[in-house]
Amino acid sequence: MNVFSGRMLRGIAAVAAIWLSMTAATDQTATSRIVRAANAFLSTLSEKQRQSVLYSFDDEQQRARWSNFPTTFVTRGGISLKEMNATQRAAAMALVSSALSAKGFEKVQQIMEGDEVLRRTDRGGGPPGPPPRDNGHRPPGDNDHRPPPGFGGNRPPMGGGQTFGKELYYISILGTPSEKTPWMLQFGGHHLALNITIAGERGVLTPTLTGAQPALYTMNGKTVRPLGAESDKGFALLQALDDKQRKQAILSYELADLVLGPGQDGKTIVPEGLKASEMTDHQRAMLLDVISEWAGIIHESAAAARMAELKADINETWFAWSGPTTVIPGKNITAYYRIQGPHLVIEYAPQTLGGDPGLHVHTMYRDPTNDYGKGLLKE
Amino acid sequence: MRLRIVTTAVLLFCLGGVAFAHRLDEYLQATIISVDKDHVQASMRMIPGVSVASFVIASIDTDGDGVISPAEQRAYAERVLGDLSLTADGKSVKPRLVSADFPQIELMREGLGEIHIEFTADLPHGGPNRRLILESHNPNRKAVYLVNCLVPRDPDIRIVAQNRNEQQSFYELDYVQSGGPSDSIFGKWWANVRGSISALGFAGIFRLGMRHIAEGTDHLLFLLVMLLPAPLIVSGSRWAGFADVRCSVLRILKIVTAFTVGHSITLALAAFGIVRVPSRPIEVLIAVSILVSAVHALRPIFPGKEAGIAAFFGLIHGLAFAATLGELGLGRWERVAGILAFNLGIETMQMVVVAVTMPSLVLLSRTRAYSFLRIGGAIFAAFASAGWIVERLTGVHSSVDVVVGAVAHQAVWIAGVLFLISLGCWRVQNLRSASVPM
Repeated sequence: MNVFSGRMLRGIAAVAAIWLSMTAATDQTATSRIVRAANAFLSTLSEKQRQSVLYSFDDEQQRARWSNFPTTFVTRGGISLKEMNATQRAAAMALVSSALSAKGFEKVQQIMEGDEVLRRTDRGGGPPGPPPRDNGHRPPGDNDHRPPPGFGGNRPPMGGGQTFGKELYYISILGTPSEKTPWMLQFGGHHLALNITIAGERGVLTPTLTGAQPALYTMNGKTVRPLGAESDKGFALLQALDDKQRKQAILSYELADLVLGPGQDGKTIVPEGLKASEMTDHQRAMLLDVISEWAGIIHESAAAARMAELKADINETWFAWSGPTTVIPGKNITAYYRIQGPHLVIEYAPQTLGGDPGLHVHTMYRDPTNDYGKGLLKE
Repeated sequence: MRLRIVTTAVLLFCLGGVAFAHRLDEYLQATIISVDKDHVQASMRMIPGVSVASFVIASIDTDGDGVISPAEQRAYAERVLGDLSLTADGKSVKPRLVSADFPQIELMREGLGEIHIEFTADLPHGGPNRRLILESHNPNRKAVYLVNCLVPRDPDIRIVAQNRNEQQSFYELDYVQSGGPSDSIFGKWWANVRGSISALGFAGIFRLGMRHIAEGTDHLLFLLVMLLPAPLIVSGSRWAGFADVRCSVLRILKIVTAFTVGHSITLALAAFGIVRVPSRPIEVLIAVSILVSAVHALRPIFPGKEAGIAAFFGLIHGLAFAATLGELGLGRWERVAGILAFNLGIETMQMVVVAVTMPSLVLLSRTRAYSFLRIGGAIFAAFASAGWIVERLTGVHSSVDVVVGAVAHQAVWIAGVLFLISLGCWRVQNLRSASVPM
């Protein structure tokens, strides 16, 4: 009896030890999780699809093939969710999710859902029916505001006749998913470009573009603002500044667009605005909190390392604002802001394309010293 | 997908036809410039919005054949540059087209086409404080502008301010450029040695200090002329006979030391930015100091106060040394080492000069021939300093540098000959005084 139970206990202990060591080995690091998710995704693909998804790690063209534009205008590499079956799509989204924090993945989904909203309201690729083009807000005869024929749904098919929608997001992998050697995961489409470089345990999210249109919509009775926290936290920081600080932070000129958008890799412009060394500890903490909206998109351990780096830089970091200094509660700011440090450029740029600029936002997140992890790989 | 969409989206504002991802009715012109010492480069992205696209396309595709030919590209790019006005320090400079890249007409029609234009412009020589103004006069009334400047690659260029009008069609860039060619003789000299001191260590700065004295003829001339009357005594308002060897040597050392103390103080103050004086008045004052010491060598105007005067003018000379050291762009710690090394270099060279000339001065001053050297030297220095003063005040070039430079070039020979003459004169005088019983 005693002997039996002793043997049983030993057996249980052994099984537990094996199980624990297995789970410890497999769930040890974020990178190993991402690599497993990547391999799982690749295993669901046909040979032809795999070839479309995989690029060589040093493919500079594919690296820079991202944009804020719809995929029909600027063709992305890789394959879209639309071209996948349900299993493949689930595996693809699991891979993207594995590389991001929960909050980051939610942001990405809200951007994609926003594009789905756009698809339903725009003529582009929507189901047949009366296009909701004429909204009565334009003076009659103001025809030059209307898109030319050929735009949107009537466009020759590139994405199957569809311009917007949550299926038109493309995934690609540069190099071979590995826990040791560097590789890259790209996921993006209209208003989204995630460029994630993974090198061992390090993860780099720069350059990444997020955008939203509509930047405010209702779903399940709930108001969704994909980039709402970026808007709110940036505005809260502006509010927290005293008059003298505001004078420095607020630029005297208009900014119609991103300065360092797609195609502007590795450029460092002269910083402007208010330097964080002129801020109080509380304001600096708020600034870091704004930054975390971008730096925190990537998975937690990479985000923590990145935030530590940006915190060390904080006194050399600048905050600049251009545009209205008020906001309607619950809506997005209609002002541009930029945060720039030795290893950071963040731009939040509302787009004034005829409608409410608060409804159409482009943002950019860069590290001019480490775009695509190039600084990291040099080390 | 994790999120289910159940309800239809409700848009708060009119979205329908306005919901485009691209530029609609503006003509975006985004320029990023980068400044170098002698030129400025710029990269322009021009994106015509949908409503202005047809107008823009018509002005590019002038023959209307639906194709943008290379000639049409060039012509349009030149027109864009013609609509810019670029000035450097108030002088107009001409942008030169480097490259032009055009998108397909189809893309442009949809507000997606980006025209890329790169241009460059040579900058005229200027002072350390420079101002660049870029004004855009895009004829399209719906033009919107973005203008920015890259952080300069050249560490000698520091951006001070960027000013724009609200539309950014007017952009003004203020920057400081150090180490560039300047109008002073040191500027020219500096431009020559500049390339060779990029990887500068302690030894390099030490040598720089030595060369600064050896080649900076005005510092040396001041010191030498100060020393000319040192071995003499004053009688009434004239220079009279020889003091004595001990007294002469002491006076020479006192003057040299006082000068050193003076310039060390201001060198340190200026190098740390505690004192900041523009270089032109300093250069003029240095020339004045030579004139004063030349007058003193002719007629004693401050007898017995030479050390004090040398210290005072040393303060002024030190500010000029600091300008040279400042051009190295050293960090805080490096600056401490730099001042030390540079000053030691100056001192060493001074010592060499004094060691070479002192025996001649002491020997010759005991003879009557000394007044020729004193008066001749003083007159030479007076003319040279007067020339420098005029040159540095007006900016008009005279031949002072050439003459002084030619003399300085033969310094070793002159010092040698001077020593031989001194020796000869002294011997003749000795023999004469020995043979003539008093």
